[in-house]
Amino acid sequence: MKKTAVSISALLMAFSVVVSGCGGNSNSTNAANNGGVKEESSATTAPATSKAPSMEPVTLNAWVMPNSPKPDADFLKTIDPYLKEHPNVSVKVTVLDWGSAWTKITTAATSGEGPDLLQLGSTWVPAIASMGGIDKVTDKVADVGGAEAFLPAIWKTTSIAGDSEVYGVPWFVDARAIYYRTDVFKQAGVDTATAFKDWDSFKSALQAVNGQTVDGKKIAALGLPGKNDWNVVHNIFPWIWAAGGDVLSEDNKNVTFNEDKGLDGVMYYTGLAAEGLVDKASLEKNSSQIEGDFGDGKSAVIISGPWLAKNFATPKANGGMDDKKAAKNFAVAPLPAGPGGQATFVGGSELTVFSGSKNKEATWELIKYLTADEAQKAYAAVSGQLPARLSLLESPDLDANMKAFSEATKYGRTYPAIPQWGPTETALQKHFANVWDIVAGVKGKYSRESVKEELDSAAAEVKAIINQ
Amino acid sequence: MGLHTEKNLPVKAAASKRAVWRKRVRDNKFAYMLMVPTIIFMLLVHLLPMIQGFWMSFLKLNQFTLGKYLKAPFVGIDNYVGLLFNSDNPVRQGLNFAIRNTAIYAVIVTIGVMVMGLMMAMLLNRDFPGRSIARTAMLLPWVVPSYVVGVLWGFMWQQNGIINYFLVDVLHLYAEKPFWLLGPNTIWAIIIPTIWRGWPFLMVIFLAGLQTIPEDIYEAATIDGAGKFRQFWNMTLPMLKPVIAVQLLFQIINNVYSYNIVSTMFGNGAGYPGEWGDLLMTALTRQSFGYWSFGSGSAASIMLMFAMLMIVGVWYRAFRTELNTQ
Repeated sequence: MKKTAVSISALLMAFSVVVSGCGGNSNSTNAANNGGVKEESSATTAPATSKAPSMEPVTLNAWVMPNSPKPDADFLKTIDPYLKEHPNVSVKVTVLDWGSAWTKITTAATSGEGPDLLQLGSTWVPAIASMGGIDKVTDKVADVGGAEAFLPAIWKTTSIAGDSEVYGVPWFVDARAIYYRTDVFKQAGVDTATAFKDWDSFKSALQAVNGQTVDGKKIAALGLPGKNDWNVVHNIFPWIWAAGGDVLSEDNKNVTFNEDKGLDGVMYYTGLAAEGLVDKASLEKNSSQIEGDFGDGKSAVIISGPWLAKNFATPKANGGMDDKKAAKNFAVAPLPAGPGGQATFVGGSELTVFSGSKNKEATWELIKYLTADEAQKAYAAVSGQLPARLSLLESPDLDANMKAFSEATKYGRTYPAIPQWGPTETALQKHFANVWDIVAGVKGKYSRESVKEELDSAAAEVKAIINQ
Repeated sequence: MGLHTEKNLPVKAAASKRAVWRKRVRDNKFAYMLMVPTIIFMLLVHLLPMIQGFWMSFLKLNQFTLGKYLKAPFVGIDNYVGLLFNSDNPVRQGLNFAIRNTAIYAVIVTIGVMVMGLMMAMLLNRDFPGRSIARTAMLLPWVVPSYVVGVLWGFMWQQNGIINYFLVDVLHLYAEKPFWLLGPNTIWAIIIPTIWRGWPFLMVIFLAGLQTIPEDIYEAATIDGAGKFRQFWNMTLPMLKPVIAVQLLFQIINNVYSYNIVSTMFGNGAGYPGEWGDLLMTALTRQSFGYWSFGSGSAASIMLMFAMLMIVGVWYRAFRTELNTQ
């Protein structure tokens, strides 16, 4: 018996040596990223890259999210010219679903096992950076034109608030704006020049189009997803901002979205559903179902991003909706101004170098290519997303719809660039989901008080998270 | 393992046990060699992560300490205390709903699939034309991948979906179309598809069990004047007890650890399924990876594991005799 015990423990020890060996490695790379042992990491990568950086064959793993109808093919198509020029480089693309990407990326950041090139949603960058999951690129960003070359709202999210280090390069931008059915508005006699001016005109326009008969079917004024969606937080905040509220105080130390102004914003937006301007069935749907409904003529107005215009221009055979009536009868307008002014959510994605990568030089070269004019233009064309470069955003050859979105980026806002944003968004998602339960009438009665109560409990949770 | 039996070995003192072991290893060298890779593999994939998880539950693990996670600050049983007694702990608040929902879900689904499976197995155990076709057709729900089940039923439960069409427009059971994916109804929106998908598997198992029962004892019982119901109660059920026992355990574990259905039906794992839709696994995933309370998350997982071991203990006591006689 004793002997077996000894041999088992010996076996265990052998394993723990193996495992701690791995752990040791990932620790040292993490330390290098935190600024500690820089020589060590360069010493291990230098021999591979310094001799002949353009000749050594490298395979880069890229993790991207579905930004376009055919995410992997579109990505490869964009970098095709680069690959032709660099025959030694090959790229493997893995597409992560937006819903599960967060879990996969945090797991990768924890284990150090991940891609070389990593796409991150702009709100995730400070968090993953604080985990040591991605490399600093501060001293390299001059290669891509630096801060001045990109949309300021998105550039803000490449750093952690209050810190000057840069962790990513903006890849593309998305903004939210209103899509409306021009034919339905005309039929209802609503002047689209003034309808989207402010909250009052917007609501009366919605009331006018609500229930209009189109092709023998009654159309709902507005389509909006409720809670079963990853967009819940992004859908509500533009209204809080427009009401004059904000997520956190200036110094990011206090929670302010549950104060009166923030509550005004939530009440206005959810009120549109509570007052019958929304088909309540849509509260159970997610964003893409809502977009499908708009395409099918079930709603006259929705709020979405530039990708939808691209979708309407894409042939049905390629998964687009160009055959729908809505595709020929829509226009894009900015979100209406609230008492606190005009606001919309500007999101987007950044390209980062994963800290566990063994091909950092080659990864950075690819990032440089992807964020320069040619690839930015090409990717905007295939994905329907907006380029992140100011020169392209302000270019006169944007089409009318893209111009409306480019306009929207000017009053676009982002969340505080704090490392705790990930948990904060999870908490907000949960409580905002409960708000939708209240609106649907399945969790108490919809009133300013009941919504306020839910926002207060959200604020308590968020406060605990940001002060941890 | 049944490699060989101890019957011929005389009971000896502890010292000679070693000799017995040595002889056993020598005699079965090849068999033991075959087992070594499995043992190594089991240690790697089961034991080590378990030890690591246990260790993590004593650490303050968040995004800042995660990079060197085995060296994160040690906080002792704080994570456990927080989960059990601190009402401000967000992980705990979420867990209350998740525990309630999981209990309801696991009990109803387990009973549902077992009863449905047994009923259908009894039906299909008779001889009738087209029996094999019927058996294949019945397996259909089980073959559908769980992701598809989630997405498909997610559509069907929608307010203007096909289920409400039947309930309201055809059967007139409700005055208004209810929400199934919002509010308290959510629990049914996850229970019913799980039963729908789960029972065919039980049917197959029970069918196999039923076919081991010899036909002639039913004939004898019929001659003795026992009715169908008595035959079922006093013969079929007791004969199936070992099968039922194993399947019961399997179902309990499966359903307490259920994740896919909720994840696919509500925002692909990104959304919050609500106070009546959250299960333990979805809640733990969110708390660990969404809130980055990895320490608390591990503590909750360890507690769940012990709860599960207790359930297994109760189960084993209840079915000990049946399992040992087989």
